[in-house]
Amino acid sequence: MAQGDHIDLHRRRHGRRLDHDEKARKKEARGAHTRAKYAQKVKGLRAKLLNKKRYSEKATMQKTIKEHQERDTKHRDKEGGPKDAVPGYLMDRENMSHAKVLSNTIKQKRKEKAGRWNVPIPKVRPVGEDEVFKVMRSGNRRKKAWKRMITKVTYVGDTFTRKPPKYERFIRPSGLRMKKAHVTHPELQTTFSLDIIGVKKNPQSSLYTSLGVITKGTIIEVNVSELGLVTPAGKVVWGKFAQVTNNPENDGCINAVLLV
Amino acid sequence: MVVYNFKKIQQVPTASDFVDVVLSKTQRGTPTVIHAGYSINRIRSFYMRKVKFTQTNYAEKIALILTDFPRLDDIHPFYADLLNILYDRDHYKLALGQLSLAKKLIDTVGRDYVKMLKYGDSLFRCKALKRAALGRMCTIIKRNKAGLAYLEQVRQHMSRLPSIDPNTRTILVAGFPNVGKSSFMNKVTRANVEVQPYAFTTKSLYVGHMDYKYMRWQVIDTPGVLDKPLEERNTIEMQSITALAHLRCTVLYVLDISEQCGYSLAQQTALFKSIQPLFANKPLLVAVNKTDVRSMDDLRPDEVELIEFIRSTGATVLPMSTFSEQGVADVKGAACDMLLRERVEQKMGTKKVEDVLNRIHVATVRPRDARERAPAIPASVRAAREARAMDAEGGDDGGVLPKRKTLRDLQEEEGGAGVFSFPYQNYWDLKTDEWKFDVIPEIMDGKNIADFVDPEIEAKLEALEAEEDRLIELAELEGVAEPMDDDDAATHELAERIRHKKRLIVNKHRDDKGGNRPIVPRSKVIRPERTVEGLKRHLASVGVRTGDDDLQNLRKRGRSTSPRRGLSASRGDAEEAAARTGSKKPKSELTPDERKAAKLVRSHSKVAIRGESKSASRPRSRSVAGLRDESMVRSADKLLKKQQRQRNLHGKVGESDRVITMKKEKWMLTGKRGIGKTDRR
Repeated sequence: MAQGDHIDLHRRRHGRRLDHDEKARKKEARGAHTRAKYAQKVKGLRAKLLNKKRYSEKATMQKTIKEHQERDTKHRDKEGGPKDAVPGYLMDRENMSHAKVLSNTIKQKRKEKAGRWNVPIPKVRPVGEDEVFKVMRSGNRRKKAWKRMITKVTYVGDTFTRKPPKYERFIRPSGLRMKKAHVTHPELQTTFSLDIIGVKKNPQSSLYTSLGVITKGTIIEVNVSELGLVTPAGKVVWGKFAQVTNNPENDGCINAVLLV
Repeated sequence: MVVYNFKKIQQVPTASDFVDVVLSKTQRGTPTVIHAGYSINRIRSFYMRKVKFTQTNYAEKIALILTDFPRLDDIHPFYADLLNILYDRDHYKLALGQLSLAKKLIDTVGRDYVKMLKYGDSLFRCKALKRAALGRMCTIIKRNKAGLAYLEQVRQHMSRLPSIDPNTRTILVAGFPNVGKSSFMNKVTRANVEVQPYAFTTKSLYVGHMDYKYMRWQVIDTPGVLDKPLEERNTIEMQSITALAHLRCTVLYVLDISEQCGYSLAQQTALFKSIQPLFANKPLLVAVNKTDVRSMDDLRPDEVELIEFIRSTGATVLPMSTFSEQGVADVKGAACDMLLRERVEQKMGTKKVEDVLNRIHVATVRPRDARERAPAIPASVRAAREARAMDAEGGDDGGVLPKRKTLRDLQEEEGGAGVFSFPYQNYWDLKTDEWKFDVIPEIMDGKNIADFVDPEIEAKLEALEAEEDRLIELAELEGVAEPMDDDDAATHELAERIRHKKRLIVNKHRDDKGGNRPIVPRSKVIRPERTVEGLKRHLASVGVRTGDDDLQNLRKRGRSTSPRRGLSASRGDAEEAAARTGSKKPKSELTPDERKAAKLVRSHSKVAIRGESKSASRPRSRSVAGLRDESMVRSADKLLKKQQRQRNLHGKVGESDRVITMKKEKWMLTGKRGIGKTDRR
């Protein structure tokens, strides 16, 4: 007990109030009623928050009850643990059986040949040019209208050099350029912030692909050298494709799923 | 001068509270209504404002936390070490570091999203961006949940740390557990530290204050220390060690000579030896405690050797007993003196002293010549001194002069404060001192009261009283009071009647005055009594003679001046006549007006209202227009009263009250009116 802890000190010297236990018990007993009353009264956002909280409480409680019940029944695992013990440094690779990787690469190659993609988002909403391009007026009297500004997120490579602004047809604003993407590895269920290498394909149109426009469903190439993936041949993979799963212009960031 | 108390650190909210606070602040602090129809610039700035607002709020709050918590490098090493022991320096720094990183991240998020909002081309997109921005900021805070919780815990604990000033005069009490450190503390200060007969009662540092030589001293009570290597010491012990290591103070090492604490003197000396490096450059005092159980003389030779060893290290050894309070004051005095000497010596060594010394000049008197100039002591004083010296030699109560009688003693003699009156006479400046206590004559209206006082008045009064007593006795013996005369009885009766009448009048007046009833203006009230006849009756009732002969003037005057005009006058006459003759006209003979007036007079017994004095050709009052006859009027009247009674009682709005039915809004009423602007302004 520290010197300044006056409440504790007082309790030690004089004890609690005589009716403390009674009061505490009553308060606890009354708690359910108080909460119910509040729950009936509350409206709007607070009600939403409260319901969420109560739901999660209830879920955890049911989970615990279930765990207790399972413990009581002496449930036995029929699998009987791992069949063959794996050393720690191999743990992460347990699902990467050799044959599967092979077949994967073959599949990918086939897919690439066919030019069709079996991807997480097979269909995309068509995005028209009027939505992507904003007409910019130019000329001394603002009557020429051949310039376009791209209103979606774009990827612009490091090596890009602007044309003289006077002749630049498509303007990609620097505020909407992005270099990083949050890529989820579907098997590891983890997300990494990776550098974008390029835009492989925008399903909307080839123009968008060449301009580097990133919309939902776009296939981008990301730098996965940080993940330490290895090809069957033993080379380090550094570029991999990923599909964008959100509308980057609305969220302010790019979320993508790695295509394995 | 830095004051070390950490009570002013503001509460650190939990992560979820933090988010709630900031988001609700954003909601309240920024506009909330926007429509898709607004110009896109307006929409953009609306959402940009929200993002920026949230970002600055977060940044401000985090900055407040970061500035509130002390940086371990900036504070006194004693506190830095104490915080390190209690809360773990790395953990503390990490928590604060993460928070400052969070602040930076939030700033970046805010900046980026504001940038992106500039390109927002629709309400939806702007809104989505804002939502994403706030969400990311909140996520950053939520990730700091553990750090915030930790900081809150630290804050609470820090706010309860004793506020030790590391630079002031300090006495540090150290020693084995249960040797009486806290008892000593309780004896010399008012800290009221808990003392229990088991080890480690004191688990943290305690501070108390005392006075010595008119200066404030700080006494620090430390938890007990066991004799083990530094690495194995626990948090409680480390607090003591920190205090010993960093504070410049007198160390008071307490030894338990009775060995009741469970450690032998040898063990205690061993501890002394092992922590001796911490005592370097500090005045050291070893207090041998519990001498009431076992005195210093009872020590075995080997134990004496131990004490001698301690003494040989340069420490002062003093016995004390916190139980019997023997030697406690000595120990306290010795400790304070040692420190004071040390501090003065140290100060003398510094440069600062030079500055002060330059300015100080102690003047010494040089003798002018060889002549001796002895102090002039009055003969009486010398005699008194000699007498005292004599007393000191001879008398047993050595040289104490008889106590002088002071004014206070005099006050006590005369009955204490409040009773005693200050003898101002003593200080009067009169020609002769004897006059001071003369009696002052009491003067009234320019005459001396004493001149009018009969010196024998007391005796006379006594004689009178005796006479009266005798008479009373006689009367009692006779037993019968003298009967009253007839005249007296009549007078009494009359007086009684007059009083009764007066009381009646007063009561009537009071009844008429208050009450919950409508007040009718005097001019509207009919007073049938206000006639000459009425006045006469009144006078008669009061007791004035009212024969025709007696009131000739009144009758004459009444006839000549009262104007008679119109209907009312005639009615007045009729009434007067009726009153005079004492007979009543039958109802059928009265005109309708008269009848109504009579009825009104009757129905409002208290408030008489004047009847209509209009020409008969004019229509009846609208209040009675639809009513068939008198009984209907009466019942309507009754109904009205009954209905209004409750409202009147509660003072509610009635039909007759002024009412503003619809209050127009301000813009409809204010401003200049142009042409055709009555309804919109």
